[in-house]
Amino acid sequence: MSNETHQDKKLVGVLGQFDSPDALLHACENARQSGIKKMDAYSPFPIHGIEKALGVPRTILPFFVLAVGLSACAAGLGLQWFTNATENWGPWSGYQFKISGKPYFSLPANIPVTFEIIVLSSAFAAFLGMLALNRLPTFANPLHRIARFKRATNDRFFLAIETSEGGLDATSARNKLMEYGATDVEEVWLDQTDHQLPAFLKTFLVLALVLLLLPPVMVFRGQGMTSRQTRLHLNPDMDFQHKFKPQSLGPVASDDPLGFFFEHKRSALAQIPGTVSRNQDDSDSTFLRGIKAGPDSHHTNIKIPVVLASNQEQEALTPAAAPVEPDWVTEFPEQFDVNQENMLLGQKKYDIYCSVCHGYSGEGDGLVNQRASALAINGGTTWTAAKSYHDPEVVKQPVGRIFDTITNGRATMGPYASRLSPADRWAIVLYIKAIQETRANVPPATDVPPEADKNAGAKAE
Amino acid sequence: MWDYNEQTRFEINLMATTVQTRIDNSIEDPSRRAPLITGGLDYDGVSDVVSDLAEMAKPPRIWYVLLAISASLTLILGALIGLLFFKGVGVWGNNAPVYWGWPIVNFVFWVGIGHAGTLISAILFLFRQHWRTGINRAAEAMTIFAVICAGMFPGIHIGRVWAFYWLFPIPSEHLSMWPNFRSPLLWDVFAVSTYFTVSLLFWYMGMVPDLATFRDRSTTRLRKFIYGILALGWTGSARHWHRYETAYTILAALATPLVLSVHTIVSFDFAVSIVPGWHTTIFPPYFVAGAIFSGFAMVITLLVPMRSIFNLKHIITVRHIENMNKIIMVTGLMVGTAYTIEFFIAWYSGNPFELFAFKNRSFGPFWWAYCIMFSCNVFVPQLYWFKRIRTSMIMSVVIGILVNVGMWFERFVIVMTLNRDYLPSSWSYFRPTWVDIMMLIGSFGLFMTLFLLFCRFLPVIAMSEVKGTITFQRNMAHAGGYADQH
Repeated sequence: MSNETHQDKKLVGVLGQFDSPDALLHACENARQSGIKKMDAYSPFPIHGIEKALGVPRTILPFFVLAVGLSACAAGLGLQWFTNATENWGPWSGYQFKISGKPYFSLPANIPVTFEIIVLSSAFAAFLGMLALNRLPTFANPLHRIARFKRATNDRFFLAIETSEGGLDATSARNKLMEYGATDVEEVWLDQTDHQLPAFLKTFLVLALVLLLLPPVMVFRGQGMTSRQTRLHLNPDMDFQHKFKPQSLGPVASDDPLGFFFEHKRSALAQIPGTVSRNQDDSDSTFLRGIKAGPDSHHTNIKIPVVLASNQEQEALTPAAAPVEPDWVTEFPEQFDVNQENMLLGQKKYDIYCSVCHGYSGEGDGLVNQRASALAINGGTTWTAAKSYHDPEVVKQPVGRIFDTITNGRATMGPYASRLSPADRWAIVLYIKAIQETRANVPPATDVPPEADKNAGAKAE
Repeated sequence: MWDYNEQTRFEINLMATTVQTRIDNSIEDPSRRAPLITGGLDYDGVSDVVSDLAEMAKPPRIWYVLLAISASLTLILGALIGLLFFKGVGVWGNNAPVYWGWPIVNFVFWVGIGHAGTLISAILFLFRQHWRTGINRAAEAMTIFAVICAGMFPGIHIGRVWAFYWLFPIPSEHLSMWPNFRSPLLWDVFAVSTYFTVSLLFWYMGMVPDLATFRDRSTTRLRKFIYGILALGWTGSARHWHRYETAYTILAALATPLVLSVHTIVSFDFAVSIVPGWHTTIFPPYFVAGAIFSGFAMVITLLVPMRSIFNLKHIITVRHIENMNKIIMVTGLMVGTAYTIEFFIAWYSGNPFELFAFKNRSFGPFWWAYCIMFSCNVFVPQLYWFKRIRTSMIMSVVIGILVNVGMWFERFVIVMTLNRDYLPSSWSYFRPTWVDIMMLIGSFGLFMTLFLLFCRFLPVIAMSEVKGTITFQRNMAHAGGYADQH
């Protein structure tokens, strides 16, 4: 038959039609007994016992599904262990959730998801495995060319016997089928052109593939590039509320027909001369601001810089508007007593508010600072590290300056005026000064009274 | 709506010698098996009856009317989801302390309805219940559409819907976090999505031979192309059938624990939290029984009109309906037992908070909901003790609808336990908004739209399985075990 391959059509088998499942079953049994191996039966519903009659071996599908199910079990457990019980391990970092003091990995709590992953994977394995073993989808099949065969999915039963050069020829196959009780017999011709895809389909598939690739490409492009344009927000999220932050620019005049916003296009009203805002009592500059009272110290004299329309304008103004260092208070104010009680108060407040960043010994090694610095090294965040109080620059700072830092904040540090009363703040300044003393002025050995030294030595023994 | 007279009873001819066009197969005769397919349908007859709706040029007018109504409701649902996305979850009546309002009620309701399909297709398959072949396809379709409705409600409830993919363990540089795999809410994501996918696979795989029938019957090029692609080139080869049946059995064996696990995990959403009235071990079995209960009620509600509108009475027979009604009665009794035991344990535990939660459920501000729940779920199914009611089509639909009303209220009652929490100052009466109400109605619209399209374009009966049952029935009749009409 090899000399016929150049032709369009080739005989591949003979198809016999039967009227009942029993007739087909008997035909299969007879055919097998007479030594025919290459044959297949077709029926609208499964006929029990036909695979035995045809000599079809048991499928390996159950073992395949079992293997996939067991792998899914391992993968499911591994996924949960990796994502919830590890950190900084492998290409992506896991994330350890500590919940109610429970262990990161506890089998009972991980069973439901493992079970679902097993079922999902096994179901796909059963379905796709069945298709693969059956070599489906196969749209080109010579049997579909036969009009009679359309009833194979409706109410008729067929037995197809393959013909080949060395084996059965068409005539003997036809005779055998008739002998087994086939009501009709027909030859099956393979049309070689059937295996070619229609031209329009190829174009369509390529086009569809390209179009399907576009959205992911655009997403990856968006994620991997920076842009000067504002992000597109389909939904006004909590990040973009309809409000103006203090000191920001109000809307343009056309958006504000009622003149609701304030002079210089500010979104907030500037302080009216002669009024004192809440918590802005500056009657005692030394105690409340840490700046020596003088003609320049009054806050109304310090210009609040007008926010200008563009960054360039503001930058241009910056050198001129660079703040002159105020006249800081160098001694603790009169109202504040330097005593043991205030020292303990300062320690207490320091431990609550300051130690999280600056650390208990003032080295700038608090937990928040450590974590934030680590994140900043990894990128994604910006963080100005908390200062160590033992830094020579900080040691030189007068008490007024430290008080002002607590009151108004510096760099990443926020203002604490709303949370700490002036007396508390001075107490913290006192405690910070004490922390600095522990390093800066270690008393020489001769300063230690001889009795204390003896006592210490006795204790040590 | 449907022709009730056609169900006129005929005395069964025990001699089985004369041909009868209609026989009452709901009569129990212990010496013979009742036929499951009546009307003398042969293989070709089954194909004709089932393909008729998909092949007729114009479906019955009632199909257009129902589709118009349900499609409009679906559009309303879509508009309301848009409103929800732009305004936020505040458009619903959810409040503190009822953080979970109607959306979770609707979610559990729809997931529950989705349980009958897989039960019929998987569990009844493993038990070799041949009567399932007439109803499994439509019930599986119903499952898939119900799970679509169910999955929608928590999906749109997450607040920032555009970040929905955070529910799944997808590596993300942006989030730098993973889901918490010990949370019942995450188990739910896995359970419901797995259930949907596996049900869809099961449904589609079961449909492949029938789609091949549609392909081979089609007369137009378009139908031939579409059904040809969907049928994957199926020929009905014995080798294919062998692997197909193995795969089908494996899928059934996988879906059986799955169907039980899904509502168990849904009940964990409540039971794992430490809330009085929720933190009980009875929840998983009671939820599963309730799910099967409501699912079968929905199957009845859909199939009874379907069999008469689309002329499927010989395949979905009175016996099928009666069998399902029996399951409704049994699961109704289970649910009733659970309600009672729950109350008993609340008292027996000696936990004052637990007892308060239950007293509040039945005698508190939502006493009326508890009454609806108890009477629809426990008292109404008791009518099925009477065979006349069990085999009456009208009563089946009425009771099916009442059962689903009751089951919706059961979930409502459970969620409203939150209404009176630990802080009496936050106690107030929960009121749904119009959006809540219209979304529930809209979800029915979505469900019905999908079901009507399914009826029109896909094989509503598992033809290959019914043909197998016909063969079985014939062989049994020859062996003398089947009361057949031949």
